Amino acid sequence: MNKINILIIEDTKFESDALTEILTANEYNIVGIATSYTEALTLFYQHKIDVIIIDVFLNGQPEGITFAETITITPNIAKPFVFLTSSKDRQVFERAKLTKPFSFLLKPFNELEVLYAIEMAVEKFYEQTNVYLSEDEDTVIGNNHLFIKKKNALKKVAIEDIVYIEVEERYCNITTVNEKYLVALSLTKITEFLDTDTFAKTHRNYIVNTNKITEIILSENLIILEGNHKVTLSDKYKDFIHKFKILK
Amino acid sequence: MKTIPIKILFFLIFFFCVNVIFSQHTYSALFEKNIKASYNKFTREKNFQKAQLAFFNKKWDSTLVYSMKQLSTKNKISELDNYCYFFRGISFKEKGIFNEAKNSFNKISKRFKFYKTVENYLGQIALEQNEFKKAISYFKEFEYLETANYFNIDQGKVNHNLGICYLHLDDYTKAEYYLLKSTEIQEKENDTLMLIGAYGDVANLYYNQFKDNLALPYFEKAYRLSKKVKRYDLKKIAALNLAVVEENNKNFEKAIEYRKEAEKWNDSLTDQNKIWAVADVEKKFAIKQKQKEIEVLEIKNEIRETQRNGLFIIALLLLSIFGIGVYFYRQKIKRNKIILAQKENLDELNATKDKLFSIVSHDLRSSVNGLKSSNSKLMLNLKSNNYEQLDELIHQNAVVANSTYNLLDNLLNWANQQTNQIFFQKESLHLFSILKQVEYNYKPLVAEKNIELKIEIDKNAFVFMDLDSLKIVLRNLLDNSLKYTNEKGMISIFTQNNTTETIQLIIEDTGIGMSAQVIVELLQESTKLSKKNNKEIVGTGLGMQLCKSMLQKNGGKINIQSQEGMGTTIILTLPKQPTNE
Repeated sequence: MNKINILIIEDTKFESDALTEILTANEYNIVGIATSYTEALTLFYQHKIDVIIIDVFLNGQPEGITFAETITITPNIAKPFVFLTSSKDRQVFERAKLTKPFSFLLKPFNELEVLYAIEMAVEKFYEQTNVYLSEDEDTVIGNNHLFIKKKNALKKVAIEDIVYIEVEERYCNITTVNEKYLVALSLTKITEFLDTDTFAKTHRNYIVNTNKITEIILSENLIILEGNHKVTLSDKYKDFIHKFKILK
Repeated sequence: MKTIPIKILFFLIFFFCVNVIFSQHTYSALFEKNIKASYNKFTREKNFQKAQLAFFNKKWDSTLVYSMKQLSTKNKISELDNYCYFFRGISFKEKGIFNEAKNSFNKISKRFKFYKTVENYLGQIALEQNEFKKAISYFKEFEYLETANYFNIDQGKVNHNLGICYLHLDDYTKAEYYLLKSTEIQEKENDTLMLIGAYGDVANLYYNQFKDNLALPYFEKAYRLSKKVKRYDLKKIAALNLAVVEENNKNFEKAIEYRKEAEKWNDSLTDQNKIWAVADVEKKFAIKQKQKEIEVLEIKNEIRETQRNGLFIIALLLLSIFGIGVYFYRQKIKRNKIILAQKENLDELNATKDKLFSIVSHDLRSSVNGLKSSNSKLMLNLKSNNYEQLDELIHQNAVVANSTYNLLDNLLNWANQQTNQIFFQKESLHLFSILKQVEYNYKPLVAEKNIELKIEIDKNAFVFMDLDSLKIVLRNLLDNSLKYTNEKGMISIFTQNNTTETIQLIIEDTGIGMSAQVIVELLQESTKLSKKNNKEIVGTGLGMQLCKSMLQKNGGKINIQSQEGMGTTIILTLPKQPTNE
């Protein structure tokens, strides 16, 4: 499980310090603090960012909104972001609202509010609302990562690292190459959001990353995965094998 | 040879005589009755009524005018038109305008009841215009007509006219026959005037044929009769005729006598003519006068009409102006009412603002003053290295700063809300998380006052509100509860009575509580700030005011239950997201 990478765009040192303190304490990784639009863009492209916190006003100009607009309209680079502002001025907000998805954090903020705002941004961005706040779930499935809430903070697991998922009622056992996690995630959501080309169901309770398969033993109804994990292959789901070119 | 011109003179004289006789004719009462009876049904036509009245009174001009008016109306009744043309023809003839008369008569249809009368008139006109043969053709028809009287045709006159026609055509035998017949009839009827003409004409007839012996008695008969009448012209002609006859008979003495008599009658006649001329002039003058009067009246009428129109227009104009005035006046009243209401509202708001301003400045002053004195104490303690005191002082300062900050925050929110400058967006909010976020800031205070804060909220509860509004409400209510709850008290926040549309959030404390009157004041629907009862504790009532309006804006409700000394329970009813399913 890895830390979430956060880019802070804030020109007031006092505020960025406070944010840094809170986020670091909650095991977020601050990849950089930008104080202007251009700096923000540079940092944004240099690092692999998961979430951005954007102050609406940079040096008295609503450059924060401009930045949000830039990454929203550029295809395939958008990331979840949170607007940071000291006033809910209607005109500014009407403009900011156009950069969907839209979540904001009002100054002065406390720790809970910061964490809440980040969670909201991730939920809204990946269109899976009411995940972290409910008691039933704790994971949002992103494009490349699963965002899992552990205690107060979010963590991420790269989807490509997942070897297989074992579903047990409301919970999922996620096994990666190196680790194993228990997350609250429903099967319906997995089938809805995970790439079906990569992940295939092999059993009522098992979903396998097809890229990690090393061997399929049909006689024993077994699939051998990377790291020598063994998963059962039930007759019902054998069809997925046809997706592979079988060497004879 | 000498007699011939004289005889020609006779001709002219008699010719004139006949005409005079005709023009003096009065319509027989019978004929008038007949005519009136036959057009009774047209009495509704005003112009026709006037025309016939003028006709029977022999006012020819008026007859012509009214009949023309009647003819020019759109109401075309052929029978009525026939009467009109009939009147017009007679009027024209009487005025001596024969061609017009003929035209009018010709327009009358042959089916007209009195067409025979018309033909009689046409015959007379033909006679006047020396078309003797034509005249004879008209008259011949009436010679033996038994109903002649009905059509106002006098047999004597018809015969007389026929006689004259033949006389002019030099058919003396026929002329003699008709003239004698006419004298016969007229002797019977005892019509003196006609008889004089008839005798004259008979005499003239014989005289023209040089039958002087036969002529003389008739001349004398005419002369004798003429003595009985007052017609000077007839007297003169009769006398003159005898004079010419006697002259031709070389009986000069008698001739002179007759001539003198004729002269005398001529003088009388000229006198009469003069009188007539004068009368005529007078009449013309009178007519002119009347005409002028009529013109004046017409002009007056015209003026009156234009005046009336003018008045009408003016009245209309005034009325419309009045209407517009009333409209604008009412608009103005309406506007004034609105302005008044606005003014009252503004006054109230302004009063609230003033009050708020004074309270806030007072509170701020005391808070900042507290900080100031606390700071000087802090400095003193720092100098004297009295570190034990420092911690307590700093905590005190933190509390004061916190409450002052809350006051300022409320003030800002209040101002924003008044100017409607705040971005407002309802969304689904996790009640527990938001409450936790708000509560987070009060943790030190709760710990300091040693208050037990229990939060028991359904973790799957979501409300549909504006995030900031909800935070303001929760912050204020929590702040109040903490403020009015004594040390070691208890505050519990929990949800209950979930419906499909709302969630009830209850904030219960064991604070000082409040009276029913205060509750009523707090919940009152007004922008006024409630009075400050507890002078020890800083408060403006602004917080409750804000809560109320924020909840209202989000579709929520607030209710307060309290008992003095026991505690206060605040019940919030918050809206859930409307489900579309």
